[in-house]
Amino acid sequence: MSTRDSNGTTLINHWQLGVPVSRGPVFTRSLLLLAALAALALALAAVRFFSPLGPFSGMNDAYAWGIWKTFNVMTLTALGSGPLALGLAAWVFNRQRLHVVMRTALVSGFLFYSTGLLALGFDVGRPWNFYSALLPWRWNSESAMLEISICMPLYAAVFLSFEILPLVLERVYYTGNEQARTILRTIAPVIRKIYPFFIVGAYVIPLMHQSSLGGLLLLAGTKINPLWQSPVMPLLYLIAAGLCGLSFMIVLLLIVCLRYRRPLDVGVLNELATLLAWVCCGFLVVRFADLLWRHQLKAAFAFDRMSFLFLLESALIMIPAIAFRMRVMRETPRGLLNLAALACLGGMLYRFVPTSITFMPARSTSYFPSLPELIMAIGYIALGIVAFVVAVNFFAVLPGDSSSWDHTFRRIALFRKASKHGTSASAD
Amino acid sequence: MSTLINRRQALRSMMGLGSALTALAVPEPMTAATEEHPAHPVAPHNVVAMLFDSTICTGCKACMPACNEANGLAPDTLLSGGIWDMPTDLNAQTKNIIQLYQEPQGNGFAYVKRQCMHCLDPACVSGCPFGSLKKADWGAVTWNSSLCIGCRYCEVACPFEVPKFQWDSWNPKIVKCEFCYDQRLKKDLQPACTAACPTGAVIFGKRVDLLSQAKDRIAAAPDKYFENRAYGEHEAGGTQVLYLSAVAFEKIGLPKLSSVSLGHYATKVTSVIYKWLAGPLLMAGVLGFAIKKNWDRHETERIKHEEETGFPDQL
Repeated sequence: MSTRDSNGTTLINHWQLGVPVSRGPVFTRSLLLLAALAALALALAAVRFFSPLGPFSGMNDAYAWGIWKTFNVMTLTALGSGPLALGLAAWVFNRQRLHVVMRTALVSGFLFYSTGLLALGFDVGRPWNFYSALLPWRWNSESAMLEISICMPLYAAVFLSFEILPLVLERVYYTGNEQARTILRTIAPVIRKIYPFFIVGAYVIPLMHQSSLGGLLLLAGTKINPLWQSPVMPLLYLIAAGLCGLSFMIVLLLIVCLRYRRPLDVGVLNELATLLAWVCCGFLVVRFADLLWRHQLKAAFAFDRMSFLFLLESALIMIPAIAFRMRVMRETPRGLLNLAALACLGGMLYRFVPTSITFMPARSTSYFPSLPELIMAIGYIALGIVAFVVAVNFFAVLPGDSSSWDHTFRRIALFRKASKHGTSASAD
Repeated sequence: MSTLINRRQALRSMMGLGSALTALAVPEPMTAATEEHPAHPVAPHNVVAMLFDSTICTGCKACMPACNEANGLAPDTLLSGGIWDMPTDLNAQTKNIIQLYQEPQGNGFAYVKRQCMHCLDPACVSGCPFGSLKKADWGAVTWNSSLCIGCRYCEVACPFEVPKFQWDSWNPKIVKCEFCYDQRLKKDLQPACTAACPTGAVIFGKRVDLLSQAKDRIAAAPDKYFENRAYGEHEAGGTQVLYLSAVAFEKIGLPKLSSVSLGHYATKVTSVIYKWLAGPLLMAGVLGFAIKKNWDRHETERIKHEEETGFPDQL
């Protein structure tokens, strides 16, 4: 917990625990705008439930997967892999300092997964048959789609939710009455007892389904450009998930800390950037070794459309991998934000293009998402943002300084301006 | 001639690369015969097939209404202004189609019949999450409406782009040729298309018989047929629809495919990792050990923190 203020920047070590945002209005005008967008998307989703997919979306038989699958699920759950990447670093690789940002990762990850699953729920054509997921004798165990359709909801609804549970219980503990506290005091030891065993699932399961998302595309065979179609796609999709998860955490932490005027923690951000640089290197090594092995390096540097796409993607990942070697880049907010954003874009590009731009069936038609499709895709993201803002205001999510918080929370009352100190439990 | 050599070389190098990758990724399994997706599936003796000879087909399209009638499909009258069946491709109401190929220069042409290829190791069946698509008796690939969730992975997976989705239905079905499995095969009848074909351009039989018949035709007329081989013998691991053609297969819409099935390509590594869930369980053990170790230290620190501040530490 050393405090070091290097290079005269504003970065000092201040993050010790999760602290709720207790000042300023929650429902600002821009947030209400996002909420309206989310409501519109949900209304359209309700319409979609009673409407066939055809006239509603731009999808067709050649491009049977639209942006709900290729962007909201394939791409955004990579950003939602923050809990996986950070959790592995903190719990398995012993990076103790990263525990303090776990809550931010868990909440954002949960929201990416749940909005992705929402998108998926309105994308499938025959959702009423999904109860087969509960009947193991119907499972086709060799299908990557089975793994994803079972493990993703299981992860979000059970394991990720359990990992987030302490955050909710904490609020109940500090704002609830004496009876609630007594109950929590009795169940807390039970939760602590099973927690380390239970969260193993929260790491094994996303390792499985994040790689299976790449495994899905193996069956598409020659429809995907050979620069992307490769037997190592499952591994690359997994590494890209870690890459996106880490880089998005840096971006998110910087944005919310600037938004809510939180001091930044150089130690934690530096550590995240170092890890990210290594993951970027790992990704590039596997990517280029694979191209070399499959004799595709020539195509990669052919400087045609696909080659430029590949080079863009590699450059976006390579720049942070190199630049984060410099301490000044890891310890200034500007360097961190810009480079992490580049890595994040690169990872997202890798996760997005094999199912969209480089997916070229022989009987190719054109696909561009229809307006309702786009509104729903964007609206799901807006829903996630609204939920995240609400969460950081009412729960101790964002990392902060322990001395800045007296364990009080905002009272849950819509549209009422919160008092300066929130409402303390003892006052009730 | 040069294209032929290039093609063969390309195919050979592709196959060589595939097996090299397999050897690298997976140690050769001891029981190759019982593998779910062997690299080169062997057709069971009883599987049925169709043999389509493009040099015989006159493009009369008698098979198309026969297919529609047998499968209860409404004619696609969109282009004809409601008069007659005029599909442009396989679609949600067309399981079988005759398409014309014309040489861009010259007056060469050929007809090709398209329907499900009924692969020996179908990609759609490998991908289907709840086994809605399955390999039924005689090797027919059938679809079960009560198991399908409408994920459309079969459309993404199929190298021949055969399965079609009813985009304009609230209760959408996957539409593809099912070899007339329920309608005719079960009743000891041949599929509607082969029964209707007046010229014998498409015939029905056991796959082994049709394959040898195709080879007899090639032997009887050397260099009549493209590459002197039947398409479907090895493509995508082998299909149950075989093609003979005088023009290049790619020109009539039959894609150039590796002889390794997509199911083998996609699962050769994961089937080892996920065998009896050994990989995930092993991973759970390793991670669980590390997490428990860190957890115990975390608990010690928590108790210390609680004593110091009076507040329980956060998880």
